Amino acid sequence: MPNQNSSTRYSAVAQSFHWIIAALIVTQFTLGWTAQFLPLGARKVARLDWHKSFGMTILALAVLRLLWRLFNRPPELPAGMTPIEKTLARATHVLFYVLLFVMPLTGWMMSSAKNYSVSWFHQFTWPNLIGPNEQAFDLLKTTHDTLSWLLFALALLHILAALKHHYWNKDDVLKRMLPFTKTEKRT
Amino acid sequence: MKKLALAVTSSLIIAAATAAAAAAAGGVASFTADAQQSRLEFVGVQAGAEFKGVFHKFTAGVEFAPDALASSRIDVQIDMNSVDSKDKDRDATIRDKDVFDVSHNPTAHYVTKTITKTATGFAAVGALTLRGVTKDVPIEFQFAPADGGAKLSGSAKLNRLDFGVGQGEWKSTETIGDAVKINFSLVLKPKS
Repeated sequence: MPNQNSSTRYSAVAQSFHWIIAALIVTQFTLGWTAQFLPLGARKVARLDWHKSFGMTILALAVLRLLWRLFNRPPELPAGMTPIEKTLARATHVLFYVLLFVMPLTGWMMSSAKNYSVSWFHQFTWPNLIGPNEQAFDLLKTTHDTLSWLLFALALLHILAALKHHYWNKDDVLKRMLPFTKTEKRT
Repeated sequence: MKKLALAVTSSLIIAAATAAAAAAAGGVASFTADAQQSRLEFVGVQAGAEFKGVFHKFTAGVEFAPDALASSRIDVQIDMNSVDSKDKDRDATIRDKDVFDVSHNPTAHYVTKTITKTATGFAAVGALTLRGVTKDVPIEFQFAPADGGAKLSGSAKLNRLDFGVGQGEWKSTETIGDAVKINFSLVLKPKS
């Protein structure tokens, strides 16, 4: 068996990125999906205001997380996984990273296209990425909405896969991302 | 004797010339704003971020001479329906009864009461009638004569809630800030 002693767990930094961003994404779905049922008014503006501030936070964290990921290899996938399973797992993670950037960026561009500049918790205002443009807004909104479904499906797959690894394969794939747990050293 | 007559005549001429100059100083030049080149902009704060809008239609009558401020006047009529914030949803909301209520208040009117000179240009206090409410709003501006006409540009600050702009859910200043900045740039042509 290959020696994996130092690569059986995600580091505290990687775990923090994972769980903070996960919590923010859940918040984003709640704010974004409920806002669309509100009539055009102050409540909708306020809810989307939070949605945009959290979204820009995710974008900033995504930049940091990607940089971190580039210089820190994640633990190896369990040896028992088939090549197809491994490819699928890696593809899921790559797609997650892509969406971590594309979701906030399309949202930011949507706001710019509608001439609603994005504030960060009323502390400062981000520059507009594009000028006012109704057609661009419609296209970006469709993209943002559609990708939110893709992200939802991906998250579901991700959670189910983690649970399958934990309860079915009985490996440490879930545990190594959980704080306050210990993974056995594979020897 | 001749010398005395000359002196008296000279004095009279000088006095007359001075009086004429004074009369000229009391007169003001009359202008109207060129609709195509002039711009009337407002800057509000929505959800913590500034947004800009313009009024495409407005008329301005300006009677102005830097040395006759007492008889100078700026008078602006704004077609509130011509509001454009580069988003039709927001414009529809702004025209609606809770904000500008354009069906009942289609025009806003600003007319100066006093104009004074400042270190950098001019300041005025005028009455603004907006959404049926009239209140004094101070403005600051520059006046620069330019080929036959003049350019008058400046800014003002007002609180939208002073005029009832924002009823019901739009009263909250958390979503829409109370303070609104106004920027204007009028290209003036001599009144014909």
